Amino acid sequence: MSQEEPTLPDDEDDKRLMALVAEGDDDALRLLVHRHHARLVGYLRGEVGSLATAEELAMEVFIRLHRAASRWRPEAKLSTYLIHIAHNLVLNEWRRRGRKPTTALEFAAEPGDSSQQSARRVAELDEAFQRAIAQLPPEQRTAILLVVQQELPYEEIAEIMGVPVSSVKTWIHRARSRLRELLKDFYGNE
Amino acid sequence: MDNPNHKNFEQELAASLSRGRSVAVPGFADRLVGAVRADRRRRVVIRWSSVATAAAACLVAVLTLSAPSEEALNRQTFALVAHDESAQFADLLGASADLSLLSPAVEKSSVAEVLNAPGS
Repeated sequence: MSQEEPTLPDDEDDKRLMALVAEGDDDALRLLVHRHHARLVGYLRGEVGSLATAEELAMEVFIRLHRAASRWRPEAKLSTYLIHIAHNLVLNEWRRRGRKPTTALEFAAEPGDSSQQSARRVAELDEAFQRAIAQLPPEQRTAILLVVQQELPYEEIAEIMGVPVSSVKTWIHRARSRLRELLKDFYGNE
Repeated sequence: MDNPNHKNFEQELAASLSRGRSVAVPGFADRLVGAVRADRRRRVVIRWSSVATAAAACLVAVLTLSAPSEEALNRQTFALVAHDESAQFADLLGASADLSLLSPAVEKSSVAEVLNAPGS
């Protein structure tokens, strides 16, 4: 009788890998990192603006995850836990720098359109959005990145940020208004 | 009625941010595993250092507590000083070993006479 190993959903697989990481299995850690690092770096780059800093912070997130592996309880999704650690590191980074990351962003557009004109507009828009997002207050920036970029539900964002869902909704609404204001050259006054 | 600018804004915000959603970094996992191994070694060293420090502190405490008290040290010092005085007295007599053998049988006054005799 042939028995195919059932494909585990991501969360279940994450739990299994975390149990192995807790036992010191570096291959399991490598798999977890491979699975989660791209989105984590994407989120962190949106927060801090610099890819190099985002990579450093992502590295620290996984080191902390590894240290906490034996104490980790799968009450939330691993991806939520990772972004929660990342968010705390971002807050520390801002405190350490004594300012918000509002400097120019390193951003490379990836035009998927064959038309050069359209690719240029995409690049311009991306840069404008990134600059505008960098000017938002930290909590608004985090909330808009998590809801629009990472497509997380409000409840999960509230859990990550340690605030009520109502605060998340308020910040997202304010972030959208502020972004429209900052990008009025592109979208006109409404 | 929907404002077309508003609609464009929402769509383009989502499109722009989603382009930066995932940033795969080549070699990230390998570097991370290296960093984790280094972190693990560092923590082992720290743990053993702490154990060694605690053991050394215990040893010092045991030695300190089992050492003689100040009062006992004083008594020993006085005893030594007293011993030294008797030794000095015997030296003054010139033949400490002989005198100490004879001393139980000799009167103190006869010793004084011997010492005070002319030519001694």
